[in-house]
Amino acid sequence: MPNDLPLAEQTPIVETPVAPASASSWLDNERVLGWGSVALVILVWEITTRATGVSPLYLPRPTQIVVALFGMFATGELHKDLLVTLWRIFVGFGIAIFVGTALGIWIATSVRVRAIADMFIAMLYPLPKVTLIPLLIIWLGTGGPFMLTISFLGAIFPIVINTVLGVRQCDPGLVLAARDLGATPQQIVRRVLLPSAIPSIFAGIRLGLGVSIILVVAAEMVVGKLGLGARLYLSGQILETEQVFAVLIVLATLGIVVTKVQDFIDVKLGRWRLA
Amino acid sequence: MSAAVAIEVEGLGLTFASQSEAPTIALQDVNCRFEPGKVTALIGPSGCGKSTLLQIARGFLNPTRGRLRFVEIASGKVAERPAMATVWQAFNLFPWLTVIENVAFGLELAGVPRAERDARARKAILAVDLNGFENKFPRQLSGGMRQRVGIARALVMEPEVLLLDEPFGALDAQTRLVLQEQLSKLVETSGTTAILVTHSIEEAILLADKIIVMSARPGRVCDQINVTLPRPRSYATTHEPEYAALFDRIYGQLRDEVMQAMIIESGGG
Repeated sequence: MPNDLPLAEQTPIVETPVAPASASSWLDNERVLGWGSVALVILVWEITTRATGVSPLYLPRPTQIVVALFGMFATGELHKDLLVTLWRIFVGFGIAIFVGTALGIWIATSVRVRAIADMFIAMLYPLPKVTLIPLLIIWLGTGGPFMLTISFLGAIFPIVINTVLGVRQCDPGLVLAARDLGATPQQIVRRVLLPSAIPSIFAGIRLGLGVSIILVVAAEMVVGKLGLGARLYLSGQILETEQVFAVLIVLATLGIVVTKVQDFIDVKLGRWRLA
Repeated sequence: MSAAVAIEVEGLGLTFASQSEAPTIALQDVNCRFEPGKVTALIGPSGCGKSTLLQIARGFLNPTRGRLRFVEIASGKVAERPAMATVWQAFNLFPWLTVIENVAFGLELAGVPRAERDARARKAILAVDLNGFENKFPRQLSGGMRQRVGIARALVMEPEVLLLDEPFGALDAQTRLVLQEQLSKLVETSGTTAILVTHSIEEAILLADKIIVMSARPGRVCDQINVTLPRPRSYATTHEPEYAALFDRIYGQLRDEVMQAMIIESGGG
């Protein structure tokens, strides 16, 4: 009798309704619709700029932008800028992940630390981090330490705040169960609080990386001689408009790649949530 | 399998102090004994302190009066704190771990080598008929299956004292019946001293060797009843005349207390 149970208790498979067959179904295809409209906008852009003869100083044609993009990569200047920017973003951001998660767990598990940290977070978090750039330049100059600090500061707040939230939202029943199974306080932190906070921590990491990218590019625009932000600014200064667009394309692509990688990691980490 | 341990409760009381309101007396002068290797059910209305008593036994709460001690039967000595494990009403499975990882969790914390803990976890999973589901996540299981994981996770620790905190409270009636039969067999063979906290008179009679009936707050012991119905017990047991007599006796004692608790629950909630 009990052997039948696993099957009997399984939820029945819900029949998925069969999609109605339709001749014009490609219009309902989200992928086709999405990419198609992008292609349409580029096409209209190309045609109207050619037809109206608008100066490429204001609005270069998409084909000119592509040529500029390949040209900049061919001379090696653009991927040097890209690598410099990526390095600046990810070193500061990487440090922020470790420091932020550790700090968040500490704040969430200690009443005293929370009382102290709450004040500082309440004061510093609402401050737009770009406004710290002048002060940081005074203190650190415009070199590596400055860039690293700005990237770190962008990422750390969302990571700390989301880690605290995640840990505090942990089901107290799970902590009791772990204690019951003999877990030490350290084991409870590492084996229960941390894994249960992972979705929230990851949401913080996602937000933090976004802010880091913005801050590093903005800082490069202000002080840099190297990096995508600097390239963008300098190209604008000398009215190389198609280069400005080329850098924007690189930045947009960077954003897309980062989002996709995060989605992928999210799915990997969240197997138990989606199952 | 494990050393038989009795639990002696003498003059146990617990009062929760409160700054704004009058202190809450959760337990008052509780005297009872949990026999070694037997299942003792604690039954009573909501808020009578059954679960509080369980928490004191587990060492998660300290009594303000009296004492609760563990006595090793073989040596007659008072034991420190025996190996204990709890089965929870809310299952409390770790959602990010698979079935086998959940079951092996306590062994892993204790530093049991991987091969051994895997083997023991598989044995426990087999004992609750969940073989084939080792690598599923709790989300993918029904309520009844999740609680069987909970039972396996507790039994794999080979506890001398097993605490069952309304283990079937969150399950539907049919699943509960089947699991009651299964648990009763498992507990019998393990030789563990079990405390079963329940709201269900039926569950208490089907699973327990002794039933302790508790009053509404402040929790006190009203009655202690030995259940001598033959084992294994099953749904068919509920047709026995002795079952009906026991049910009536317990229901008679609980009726007023439960009614009062229900009025408080529906009115106060």
